[in-house]
Amino acid sequence: MIEERQFEDTGLEEDLVAEEGAGESSLQLIWRRFRRSKASIVGAAMVLMLVLLAVFADFFSPTPINQIDLNASFIPPQRVYFGFDAQGNFHPGPFVYNYVYELDPLTFQVHWQEDTSKAYDIHFFVQGSEYKILGLIPSNLHLYGVEEGGTVYLLGTDKFGRDLFGKAAEAGRISLSMSLIGTIISVLVGSVLGVVSGYYGGWVDNVLQRFTEFVAAFPNLPLWMALAALIPKTADSFTVFVVMACIFALLTWTTLAREVRGKVLSLRETDFILAAREMGASDLRIIFKHLYPNVLSHVIVILTLTVPGVILAESFLSFLGIGITEPLISWGLMLRNAQDIQTLGQNSWVLAPIIFIVIAVLGFNFLGDGLRDAADPYAAK
Amino acid sequence: MANYIIRRLIIALFMLLGISFVSFLVIKLPPGDFATRYQQYLIDRGTAAEEAQRAADIVRRQYGLDKPVIEQYLSWIWGIVSEGSFGYSFAYRKDVGELIADRLPKTLIIAISAHLISTVIGVGLGIFVAPRKYGFWDNFWAVFAFIFTSVPRFSIAIILLFILVFEFNQPSIVSFFSPQYVVAPWSWERIVDMLRHIWPVLLIAGLGGVARNMRVMRGNLLDVLGSQYVQTARAKGLRENTVIVKHATPNALHTIVAYQGTVLPYMMTGEIEVAIVLGLPTMGPLFYESLVNQDIYISGSLLLIYGALILIGNLLADILLSVLDPRIRYS
Repeated sequence: MIEERQFEDTGLEEDLVAEEGAGESSLQLIWRRFRRSKASIVGAAMVLMLVLLAVFADFFSPTPINQIDLNASFIPPQRVYFGFDAQGNFHPGPFVYNYVYELDPLTFQVHWQEDTSKAYDIHFFVQGSEYKILGLIPSNLHLYGVEEGGTVYLLGTDKFGRDLFGKAAEAGRISLSMSLIGTIISVLVGSVLGVVSGYYGGWVDNVLQRFTEFVAAFPNLPLWMALAALIPKTADSFTVFVVMACIFALLTWTTLAREVRGKVLSLRETDFILAAREMGASDLRIIFKHLYPNVLSHVIVILTLTVPGVILAESFLSFLGIGITEPLISWGLMLRNAQDIQTLGQNSWVLAPIIFIVIAVLGFNFLGDGLRDAADPYAAK
Repeated sequence: MANYIIRRLIIALFMLLGISFVSFLVIKLPPGDFATRYQQYLIDRGTAAEEAQRAADIVRRQYGLDKPVIEQYLSWIWGIVSEGSFGYSFAYRKDVGELIADRLPKTLIIAISAHLISTVIGVGLGIFVAPRKYGFWDNFWAVFAFIFTSVPRFSIAIILLFILVFEFNQPSIVSFFSPQYVVAPWSWERIVDMLRHIWPVLLIAGLGGVARNMRVMRGNLLDVLGSQYVQTARAKGLRENTVIVKHATPNALHTIVAYQGTVLPYMMTGEIEVAIVLGLPTMGPLFYESLVNQDIYISGSLLLIYGALILIGNLLADILLSVLDPRIRYS
């Protein structure tokens, strides 16, 4: 698609650019504009970081992600130290102390205390538990870890003693892929309806526009909640995932449909579409070969800007327990631990997944804003 | 213009019908009907099987659940229109209409005050930052806006709850009034007491609205400030403040009014999220509870009410806009 767009645009440009090779392709122009804005680079980096964390979650987690260890239940985040330890020994790299617990003799409350008698050096690229990269390639390499007997939980552990950092990295798989798939479905629906509506005009346009207005008038969150609650508790994980993605797609396509329609309306009367029609191109060919590539950049921008909304909605539904359910895991579902005020009061670090949500939402927003400015390289700034 | 308003009203009526139909589908979609669910509920509560069966049969006859879907839909709508009866809630043993009558005013108080506060503050901030484009305060509020539209509001509510309960020992945020004011007649003390209870919702639901209104107002005002009539006003030697307040702002406000149609659902969403986390007795927690209990008449009815509220909000924004801005074409 992008190749074709390049061809389209350079074709138009030939009249304007006299010298051979002096013009840059639109893709190069987009990249140049995109690179200029710092926010969009930061946004892209944030998104990329979360994607890497999600894909290689096992690599970033020092312990096996789903290893249940009830003795390690609710360990606070371990502080990383540098320099000299309590024994006066110098450590060249970062090190941590283990947590040991004491039971309050009266209330039976667990108190975690740092055991400063032995410091554990954090090593990088260590051999550890076995896992499979992408579920295929066996490996036992981990980004960081400590020697036998020590633990390193950078964000603490949950009720079942699972490392929250590794868990949150893994949860990104569902949170990100579901919002991306949901958005892609919504973008497909929206762009097809938008192009058809703008291209055909007349009563088709009228009907589709009224329909779009109707869907847009619907209160998103309550309807999402109602539809998500309809998914039977007995449904298997894959069905839940697909149905949830479709539910999110169901209500988010309207903005895109409107924008694409507007673009197509203005393009419909241009000379190159007229030329294509005069040469006998079919409607389908005109739509997909000539119109669609020209609105593609806007589609990508809106795709990027729709994702954060879906991430926020997904996390809220999962937090309420009417979205993703175990054994799948998402950031919102992890926050369900925080719903119990007593758990929250004693173990405030269970809120850590919020950081991941915020990074994802901010990242996509920055990226989308940057792309929007860059998407139309021929527009005068 | 009367023509325009009448046409908008007719369109809104059709939209409302559509929304009511979708809401009804939500009632109808789950497997089994209301009566079987009621029966199950009674059995779960320890009622004898035959007793539950008999109760379910009564409900089935009363609500015409054995009739065709269209007929059921029409009788549901007729019940709402004629006597305000939205269907029966087994968890509350009441008609849903009574529950709505209890919760809707509270929801409206929160929604409208959060909306007004966020509009006034957001517009004010927009006017404040626009002339300082890319200055310190502009960047400061831009960062603020980005943060408060990115952090999930339910998690702000959790954090606030955490701080209030564990740091300040303030347990009074999960209800509308302190005990002594619950049945008292309205007075200043009662309003102050209510504000002391509901400010977290207003704050969290409002902050996102402030951020959005501010960004839109800033953009509009910058557009307007670049136009020729503003230049003329400056050339006449008017002070910059007069130019902004008297000449530029009124023209930038139109877009804000039109934009309220987008902000309204956003604020409503915020209210739902925060009220559910804090457990405030508004429509949000009732809706969530009904979804979990599968108390379907509440779910469907509240969906309808939410849709209707947003529709009315949009309608008001449109009408207000047509009054404010004579350039609107009535076609």
